[in-house]
Amino acid sequence: MALFQMEGNGGGFVPPSTADFNLPPVFGNNEFTTKPILLVFLSVILISAFFIISSRKASIVPGKLQFAGESIYGFVRDGLAKEIIGPEFMKFVPLLFSLFTFILTNNIFGIVPLLQFPTMSHVAFPYVLAMFPFLVFHWVGIRHHGLVKYLKGIAFMPGVPKFAYVLLTPIEIATYFITRPLTLSLRLFANMFAGHLLLLVFILGGDHLIRGVIGLKLVAPFSFVLAIVMTFFEFMVQCLQAYIFTLLTALYIGGALVDEH
Amino acid sequence: MAKINEEGALWSIFGYLISGLLIWGGIGYLLDKWLMPDHHYFALGGLILGAGASIYLVWLRYGRN
Repeated sequence: MALFQMEGNGGGFVPPSTADFNLPPVFGNNEFTTKPILLVFLSVILISAFFIISSRKASIVPGKLQFAGESIYGFVRDGLAKEIIGPEFMKFVPLLFSLFTFILTNNIFGIVPLLQFPTMSHVAFPYVLAMFPFLVFHWVGIRHHGLVKYLKGIAFMPGVPKFAYVLLTPIEIATYFITRPLTLSLRLFANMFAGHLLLLVFILGGDHLIRGVIGLKLVAPFSFVLAIVMTFFEFMVQCLQAYIFTLLTALYIGGALVDEH
Repeated sequence: MAKINEEGALWSIFGYLISGLLIWGGIGYLLDKWLMPDHHYFALGGLILGAGASIYLVWLRYGRN
């Protein structure tokens, strides 16, 4: 088994941990210049630049760039907002579109060479992002139905035997006020966190193996190949999570606007 | 249209099931702390009750029609 043993003592593999997510500030000791914060700013610049450039010379026969910009916009407007929210969808397109592009860009940073850090793997960002849908769908519901009727619609579903309300009302209230924002943010956070950790395991593991004895060097490529496979898999997850976040936001808004509860 | 709504229903159902477990499990847990700190009977009962109630709620919301 000497073929697969590490040389010497010590030098054991240190698996990646949560500590790998707490990166030191990029510039000096300024705590506001950590990588995630800079990435957020970068994403805003990139998104704005892309959509300004792609729509500036808008023509009836779109060029490649305009086509790309318009397909993303069209996807959110027609594929999500119009389908789910209904006739009043146009008011909510800016929110959904910003959420989708912002989350998508920040997620994809996780696999862009040199950047390689998904901003949303710090839970504070998804928490703040989930506040927007949470406030908006309650606000919309209250505006549409009036406060009392809206809350009544949430807490007391019609067509249920009276005694069942004792059981069901707490669940409904918890769903609307706790579970929805919480699952919205935690789903995004956990996916990004786990994905980044997975990539770290395979890449750092491969790096560690290739420094080992000959037997370990031989298996190191498998680790790197898996890292590449996982990178593609991550790309899929990152797009999916941005989509789901936007989809659920639209669904919650649509649900708040429905007339009969 | 139908496909997107089914996807939405899926996530909403997930939310209801979690809420049911959290709320009734949590109430049971607190009752345990208060009434018999050495046991977890209320928490267990609460979890089962919550699971049952949330499945009933899901059926009311999505299964009826």
